[in-house]
Amino acid sequence: MKRPEPLEIFQPASVEEASAIVKEKGPGGRFLAGGTDLIIAIKEKGLAPKYVVDLKRVPNLSGIREEADGSLTIRALTTMREVEISPLIRKRFPFLAQSAAEVGSIQIRNRATVGGNMANATPSADVAPSLLVLEARAKIASAGGERVLSLEEFFHGPGQTAMLPEEILTAIVIPPTHPKLVGEYIKFSPREMMDLAYVGVAIALVLNGKEKRCESVRIALGAVSPTPMRARKAEAVIEKQIFTEELAEKAGEEAAKECKPISDVRSSAEYRRAMVGTMTKRALLNAAAQRPGPVPWVERRERRY
Amino acid sequence: MEQLTIVGKPVTRVDAEEKVTGEAVYGYDLVLPDMLYGKALFSPKPHARIKRINTEEAKQYPGVVAVITGKDAPWTHGESIKDKPFLAQDKVRYIGEPVAAVAAMDEDTAQAAVRLIEVEYEDLPAYFSPEEACKPGAIPIHENFASYRKFDFIVPGSMPNVCEHFKLRTGDVEKGFREADLVLEERYYVPVIQHAAIEPHSSHAQVDPESGRVTIWVANDAPFRALHEISEALGLSQEKIRFINPLQGGGFGSKGGLKVETIAVALAYHTKGKPVRVKFNREETFISTLTRHEAVIHIKSGVKQDGTLAARQMTLYWGAGAYAEKSPTVCIRGSLPAPGPYRIPHVRVDGYAAYTNKPVAGSFRGYGIPQGAWACEQHMDEIAKKLRMDPVELRLKNIFVDGDLAYWGEQLHSVGLKETLIKATQAIEWGKPPGFPASQLGGEEARRLKPNIKIGKGFACISKPTRTPTTSKAGVLVNSKGEITVLAGTVEIGQGCSTILSQVAAEELKVPLDKVRMAPLDTDMIPFDASTTSSRSTYHMGNAVRRAAIDAREKLMEMARPMLEAKNEELACSNGKVYLKDQPQMALPIGDVVRRKLGNDGIVRGDASYTYEIGKDLDLETGHSDHASAFYMYATQAAEVAVDEETGRVRILRMSAAHDVGKAINPLNCAAQIEGGLAMGIGSALHEEMVIDSQGKVRNPSFLDYHLVTSLDLPEMIPIIVECPEPEGPYGAKGLGEPGLAPTPAAIGNAVADAIGVRICDLPLNPERVYWAIQQKRAKGSSRWLTEVA
Repeated sequence: MKRPEPLEIFQPASVEEASAIVKEKGPGGRFLAGGTDLIIAIKEKGLAPKYVVDLKRVPNLSGIREEADGSLTIRALTTMREVEISPLIRKRFPFLAQSAAEVGSIQIRNRATVGGNMANATPSADVAPSLLVLEARAKIASAGGERVLSLEEFFHGPGQTAMLPEEILTAIVIPPTHPKLVGEYIKFSPREMMDLAYVGVAIALVLNGKEKRCESVRIALGAVSPTPMRARKAEAVIEKQIFTEELAEKAGEEAAKECKPISDVRSSAEYRRAMVGTMTKRALLNAAAQRPGPVPWVERRERRY
Repeated sequence: MEQLTIVGKPVTRVDAEEKVTGEAVYGYDLVLPDMLYGKALFSPKPHARIKRINTEEAKQYPGVVAVITGKDAPWTHGESIKDKPFLAQDKVRYIGEPVAAVAAMDEDTAQAAVRLIEVEYEDLPAYFSPEEACKPGAIPIHENFASYRKFDFIVPGSMPNVCEHFKLRTGDVEKGFREADLVLEERYYVPVIQHAAIEPHSSHAQVDPESGRVTIWVANDAPFRALHEISEALGLSQEKIRFINPLQGGGFGSKGGLKVETIAVALAYHTKGKPVRVKFNREETFISTLTRHEAVIHIKSGVKQDGTLAARQMTLYWGAGAYAEKSPTVCIRGSLPAPGPYRIPHVRVDGYAAYTNKPVAGSFRGYGIPQGAWACEQHMDEIAKKLRMDPVELRLKNIFVDGDLAYWGEQLHSVGLKETLIKATQAIEWGKPPGFPASQLGGEEARRLKPNIKIGKGFACISKPTRTPTTSKAGVLVNSKGEITVLAGTVEIGQGCSTILSQVAAEELKVPLDKVRMAPLDTDMIPFDASTTSSRSTYHMGNAVRRAAIDAREKLMEMARPMLEAKNEELACSNGKVYLKDQPQMALPIGDVVRRKLGNDGIVRGDASYTYEIGKDLDLETGHSDHASAFYMYATQAAEVAVDEETGRVRILRMSAAHDVGKAINPLNCAAQIEGGLAMGIGSALHEEMVIDSQGKVRNPSFLDYHLVTSLDLPEMIPIIVECPEPEGPYGAKGLGEPGLAPTPAAIGNAVADAIGVRICDLPLNPERVYWAIQQKRAKGSSRWLTEVA
């Protein structure tokens, strides 16, 4: 019996090079970003990738930038912590910053990247619902060029995305948004921190005038279907209507119907479904109450109740 | 009593600095020269015969030094029942049982080789509930149980798979029920949880091929007991075995007995004298070390209209897991006080510790008290509700006070229970309408806007015995610089014993605390101590160190007498000096006394031993004893909770904990013990549960899915120290290690029932369980784990 070869690690200096390595080495490799999923999978869950391509040496893969047209680019290797504390994101989309702040601990958020989290396609990823309601797009590159997909098309299932093995997620782009857009993200889990969402609900809402007519609404759910999902039937309940608590409750009921939760060691599907209803209602009410700007921990916690 | 100088003062922990700077070396950190790395193969079957093991491929793997199975380690061990093999023999009894082990040049190699071991199993029927396992006709998990060596107090009884049947018989319960105005019967359940010490288990072992001497480095909480157990298992004299105890990163009862030690020792016999380290990761710690007993508890009470308890009958099924470990004594000491700290004329208790095909259960901070309290204290509140009585009033009518004859036949003294009850409930403003700090929920308006939030209050009382009789010995050394070294076998498991024992030595020798040092724990050097368990150390080892320090002091005074030209004059000690009482200016530093008498390298040594003598042993038929415990610890905790009815989420708003400690040798450390206990108790109340599926597999063996509390989950904690002195204890001290978490889940359970109007009989009170309970109450339904509140 021979000892196995040590794990082969590549550190390419460009996206093209990274993609070429995968093309050449064939399937069975993994990209490494922050490593908060991959390293644990290798060390504790028996994952044995054939090789690893570390993307951290590729220049210009991290950072948050506002473009001239008002769109926002979050490059793939931007850490969760950077999203959490970015003044730009806190100002424009405080709920997105908040969803990043819900991930793990500060230590984890200092390593974990937005791109890694999206490419890993965990159904319970906290930032995914917030990005879905902002109709974010995924920028994907390979040696063969670049393409852009909506994030909704990007997710295919748990751990599965629309990307080919040699493709690399390089950025998330949030298109220009309505100036009156408000939003909310509620993570529901039994513990106050360092937990996975049982249910995650994100809302983006534009209300018009004193009567609060809903010009547009987007609702996205995490941890209750194979991929983070938009709750379009729930949106339809509110769209173009005058926003009321009753309507929020009805939207919650609709969201509970259209989600596809499973039962696992954390909770039953029935409970998750019920919580989608409750949390969707609460998130809608919170969003409609418009609380712009950064949100302290205590208040974030209160808003779940 | 003389004025105390250091005892009773909130001094900073003596080990604080090395711990916060990361200097401290724990068992898990320890690296020995030429060390090999061990890994084990764990059973994937809950109950199966081993038909064949093939280790050939693993042995061929480069870098492997030894591959062993049960055949290579033909030993069994067990504290009270010798039933557990070092590595599985012929059959496996739970998923996670070590079946084979590898020693190799590094951990990855060892792990890779473990994967090459092939085992063929033949499945056997398995039991996952203690009630099922002891039903008539159940097949035995231990076929040879009758032939195992056992402690003589073990009473297995006639039911299958029962390794201990504890009986308590006082009065005539049937008569009591007939005389009662209200008879209430309920069933409660406490699931399997784990200690979750931050440092997982590890052990190093080395066997010297020439002398046959076995050295074990392990953060064990009872090195002398472990030494005895190894010596019995290997048939080796105790002189040939040495335990060296590095610091322990938390134990809570999980690190006594032999866990990973057996694998390390078995491997060390096959490594030609090289030491082997076996280090469990978190998953291995979850599945293959120790858990807390799950308990099915039936409780039935008869009560008079005025609230006087007339009779109580309890049947407790303790899930022992696959091996007996400490189950017999958990069953005895957990079942005996389970009817609660109350005067009850007629009591009948049957406690059964039953083998199951689950991970092994054993000692866990509280030793059976939290399980009994979960049932008894919620049951008390149900009685109060039925009688339309204030739960505090009901307790006051019945609780133990000084001089009571407890239902196990012991006359009680130093009972601080009533004071804890009054102080704990006052601290959360018992009786006042659900008041909570306005800041918590945004005041009146927020409450009006949040009709989904229900507020409730609850509390629970406990008494806890300690392991009795036991012995602690200690030595105290004084050198020519006036420095003190304390030799004590109490293990610093994070509880603060090194500070407490240093304070005791400093007090008796009248030296500043920084002159005192605790010697490292090595069984070759340190006098015997029974164990660092059962909240016994401050009392037992405190007494031993105190006496040893007095012995050293008296020797010093005797030596100083001619030096101070004292004939019959009385001597005293103060501020590191011996002096004449009448002429305090005639003083000598104690170091000078040693130097002048014995030279620069001289050492004065004081020695002492402390044993609490009991009168009669426990009567095996009635469970009675006139001294069941050296002392009793009393506590009441009270909680105010907010329950979100739309989600079932329970938030604790504030929680008080009043503990009768006898005498707080270090009030700061006492408060920390109480807060630590609360944090642990809150975790077990709200989310902790080892989810074991219908195949016996632990489904959540990680901190991702096994939910300990985080700092943000903790409420405002109000520790309250009550001092009702124990005459035998050092300076009046009792113990405090365990009770911190014992009444916590029951207090929270009572508060939740108060908030939502439904009694939930199963732990934990996680959002989903509470949510469905509320839904069922709304649907006017009920289920097996719910009883509607009248």
